[in-house]
Amino acid sequence: MTLTRKHIFRYIPYVFIVLAIGVVTWWFLYNPVKSLSLAEPGLDNRTVDPARASETVCIGEFFEYFGDVASIPGTRWPRFRGADLDNISKERIPLIDSWGASGPKILWKLELGEGHAAPAVYDGKLYLLDYNETLKRDALRCLSLETGEELWRRSYSVHLKRNHGLSRTVPAVTENYVVTIGPRCQVMCVERKTGDLLWGIDLEKEYGVEVPFWYTGQCPLISDDTAIIAVGGSSLMIGVDCRSGNIAWKTPNPNGWKMSHASVMPMTFKGKKMYLYPAIGGVCGISADGPDRGDILWENQEFSPSVIAPSPVVLDKGRIFLTAGYGYGGAVMQLKEQQGKFSTEIIQKYKPTEGLASEQQTPIYYNGHLLAIMPKDAGGLRNQFVSFHPDDCRKVLMKSGKTERFGLGPYIIADGKIFILNDDGEMTIAKLSTSKFTVLDQAQIIDGQDSWGPIAITGGYLLMRDSKQLVCIDIKAD
Amino acid sequence: MEGQGEEKRINRRKFFRTGAQAGVLVSLGGITALVARKTGSGEFVWQLDPTKCTQCGRCATSCVKNPSAVKCVHVYAMCGYCDLCGGYFLPETKTLNTGAENQLCPTKAIKRTFIEDPFFQYSIDEELCIGCGKCVKGCDAFGNGSLQLQVRQNICDNCNECSIARVCPSDAYSRVPADKPYLLNGFGKEKLDIT
Repeated sequence: MTLTRKHIFRYIPYVFIVLAIGVVTWWFLYNPVKSLSLAEPGLDNRTVDPARASETVCIGEFFEYFGDVASIPGTRWPRFRGADLDNISKERIPLIDSWGASGPKILWKLELGEGHAAPAVYDGKLYLLDYNETLKRDALRCLSLETGEELWRRSYSVHLKRNHGLSRTVPAVTENYVVTIGPRCQVMCVERKTGDLLWGIDLEKEYGVEVPFWYTGQCPLISDDTAIIAVGGSSLMIGVDCRSGNIAWKTPNPNGWKMSHASVMPMTFKGKKMYLYPAIGGVCGISADGPDRGDILWENQEFSPSVIAPSPVVLDKGRIFLTAGYGYGGAVMQLKEQQGKFSTEIIQKYKPTEGLASEQQTPIYYNGHLLAIMPKDAGGLRNQFVSFHPDDCRKVLMKSGKTERFGLGPYIIADGKIFILNDDGEMTIAKLSTSKFTVLDQAQIIDGQDSWGPIAITGGYLLMRDSKQLVCIDIKAD
Repeated sequence: MEGQGEEKRINRRKFFRTGAQAGVLVSLGGITALVARKTGSGEFVWQLDPTKCTQCGRCATSCVKNPSAVKCVHVYAMCGYCDLCGGYFLPETKTLNTGAENQLCPTKAIKRTFIEDPFFQYSIDEELCIGCGKCVKGCDAFGNGSLQLQVRQNICDNCNECSIARVCPSDAYSRVPADKPYLLNGFGKEKLDIT
């Protein structure tokens, strides 16, 4: 058959139809994302440690008694940040301005398990929740403040692996009770004088708490013989009667917020007592008294870092200073009340390069100013000791300067001076001021590392630690 | 005079022929020398200093290669093997899993592998890495700084004028000896087997 022009024109539409069908088929079958793979949970093959999952912790199971010493009434640093929770010693004992020609007067040293847990002091006795790495036990150790001699020890087995330190909390101590929170969220209450076990709560088992990264950093609070614990599991916060261990109240956790490294701070606003807590998920105020005790008065999710170590700082006029490290920055929250209802507003919020922030330690509110060490990601102010006014947390009023930079270590005010501990165990004494930073003296107390545990000062004694040892220094002025 | 002209034309031809031969020889010699220099220890290559780098993102966008010859390199000895890795997770992530919504890397170039509770290993897929430095910034802010940007010499064209070096705001780029082509920072870098 001869292919004529007529034939060709007749077949052209069919050719186009076949081509169109082919193109449409290809279009349907072509998968432009076939080379991509889904990023979904579980690709890291995370598993639960079977030993840990099946472990039952018998809180307070062991007790050892070693001896006793006389009390020293009045020597008290009874909890994290002291009795007034402000990290300012109000004692009228003259303290040294310099370390002197012979250097720091170190009274005693004690080897500890690795960590950042710091002591509380009550009437000449020191209480510290250590971790015994050999026996794998959380151990509440009672020591003599003057000699460091161990008086008794209440402990329990709990399996931990090194994870940027082990222990990291400060006990809460009153006349009758000592309350501790261990690295894996075991809460324990004992009689202060005897070490007798009163009760224990395993927050991980009983409340489904997710243990924070690098273990628990929250320091317990005792208020009116009730232990206040931020849970962040099936309950957001609980109040536990110290004598009986009964749960006095529970706060529901409707948002599923998690436990952070910050500690609960009490606050009174417009006559209403409340507990502040920056959880992983948001900040809240929980009623501390009255018929609504334990209820959530307000919550705010605008300040919501993934890690929070510094505790909230209660300012004046219903303002609260909040900060977190790792690039997050700081914020000032304004609390408002109208006809018994509370609300909040973030009135300042900024990155660490723009204003006051802290990574690990809680800033000190002194004389209307906030004092802190800036984090390493704060640009030119990195690691400098600074002062800001809460009205404008972007405007630095004092800085220690390029030659005086510090680390993640603690700082405390006592007798008109600021004692600042560097990561490596160097202690600086600076003149207390919010406008000018003046170094009085510096000394290498120990050849340490990660000296991050909070400092305690009472009775002219200064207690500090690095990751492995506790040191007591006599800082009374001659 | 004619005879002299003939001789001149012949000489010129000879001259050009000889010149061309000499030119070829010189070119070959030059190429040989260049090749020898390229493979010898006298050569220099471009590299960036992690201690000066501010992770501005220009390494990803200014390189003549696409994707960039700059990649994230992991100094494992420095790594904390953290569960909450600042180089892997977005800053405000609350749930630490491998979901795309949690990952900081825009191209999923970091692989997270469970080792044992609570430790995870992070490895870089250089095929996917575009050298944006987001993970490096996160690791610096949060961790030990074990993630670092480096010019990968097996990818780099070693341009005469590096287009990233021209725009680097922190002057982190310099030429380094080809037999020591990496400028990693911190301890454990010697153990890294990178070429």
